[in-house]
Amino acid sequence: MEPAEVKTPAVMRTPRKVDIDLTSRCNLRCRYCYFFDNSSVTYQDLITAEWLQFFDELGRCAVMDVTLAGGEPFTRPDLRQLLEGIVRNRMRFALLSNGTLIDDEIAAYLADTGCCNYVQVSIDGSSPEAHDACRGKGAFERALRGLRTLQRHGVQVAVRVTIHRYNVHDLEATAQFLLEELKLPAFSTNSAGYLGSCRVNAEAVLLTTAERLVAMESLVRLTQKYDGRISATAGPLAEARMWRRMEEARSAGAPQFPIGGRLTACGCPGSKIAVRADGTIIPCNMLAHIELGRINQDSLAEVWQHSPELNKLRTRSSIPLTEFEFCSGCGYLPYCTGNCPALAYTLIGQVNHPSPDACLRRFLEEGGTLETIWTTPT
Amino acid sequence: MLKPTEKPIACPDIVLREEFDDWAILFHHPSGDSVATGPVGVAIWKAMDGQRTLSDIATEIENQFEDTPNTALDDTIAFVEELLQRKFVTIEPQTDGL
Repeated sequence: MEPAEVKTPAVMRTPRKVDIDLTSRCNLRCRYCYFFDNSSVTYQDLITAEWLQFFDELGRCAVMDVTLAGGEPFTRPDLRQLLEGIVRNRMRFALLSNGTLIDDEIAAYLADTGCCNYVQVSIDGSSPEAHDACRGKGAFERALRGLRTLQRHGVQVAVRVTIHRYNVHDLEATAQFLLEELKLPAFSTNSAGYLGSCRVNAEAVLLTTAERLVAMESLVRLTQKYDGRISATAGPLAEARMWRRMEEARSAGAPQFPIGGRLTACGCPGSKIAVRADGTIIPCNMLAHIELGRINQDSLAEVWQHSPELNKLRTRSSIPLTEFEFCSGCGYLPYCTGNCPALAYTLIGQVNHPSPDACLRRFLEEGGTLETIWTTPT
Repeated sequence: MLKPTEKPIACPDIVLREEFDDWAILFHHPSGDSVATGPVGVAIWKAMDGQRTLSDIATEIENQFEDTPNTALDDTIAFVEELLQRKFVTIEPQTDGL
């Protein structure tokens, strides 16, 4: 029997957002960095003129936002020139940074552009011990200095806490430090994932099931204490929320979730695309091995609309979870999205497979529980 | 309220981002403000060159789209007023010899 034809969902004419690894250089070597130690990536930088030419194309494509990461974007000596190119092409930008290289001059410039959505600074704990364990000695103090410099110049700061084995017991103090002492309006969380350098240091860095449970319990309690000022789109807090919904639906025999039962995660290829530091166009920074084209050689609009690899990713959401032996007999299947394709790829070598990392059934089989996480109604 | 004789000009800072199915986003990058609009809004936006009056634009819309309601002029003015409030549009100064 011929397989049913899978129709590619309607896509925008051009991506709305582009994630750019502006450089492959970084002044730190964090033990869980997703970017380094990826054998698929050529760690090479483009010259200024190549990026500026590409930003002109993004302007013609009416891209609205770019997110600049790396590597550490503040290592680029031509950063101001690059940002000028972005603003000239009528886009807004965000920067993902370790915070350690931010000084008054660049912070003042960022504020002056009027087009900086935010600078995300990674702060992994309330003390040098928690933060520096994975990021290196002195990183905490320098990151804080950078963060305060941004605040002083009125630049929007977004703090991201990446949870790992060295800071999982510091979350209460971290929330207090960030929200009360530094008076940040909010912060977001994630956890170290089996990508890049983290694969090399997995045993030392990745949360065990018991530690994951500790992280979920702490974060749920803290979001209640701080009235929603802690957010997450992935990691323990996001999982705690999603898994609770899944458990409630399963217990009640609820109908399948609209996005459940298929590989619907994630939706990124519908609105954004990414570029590696060497100029290779890729679907996502986490799927750096899927090469779609090259900037300034291939038309971005053409790649966006017609790349077979990208369209294959877009049709991933039509693949039912019932196709996978991994999901066989799972009561959560109608409510599950299969989760991150990048983690599925690094963990088992297949993009079109549910990610074992975010599997609720596996979490429970390994001794996890949801009963101790939600002690009060939300 | 804007008069039918006034001539709007689309602000050059605004990005018209046309999506699928003729829908679009008007995006002001210095503020991050954006407005979603349909095919009629896109046509109005493209017609705001400082030469055409609101009345001219409404007539063009009536000619361009089938089944346009007889409130086309009022609807055009309301849309342009919203854009004016957001500073997406300026009005060409009237030069009527007074």
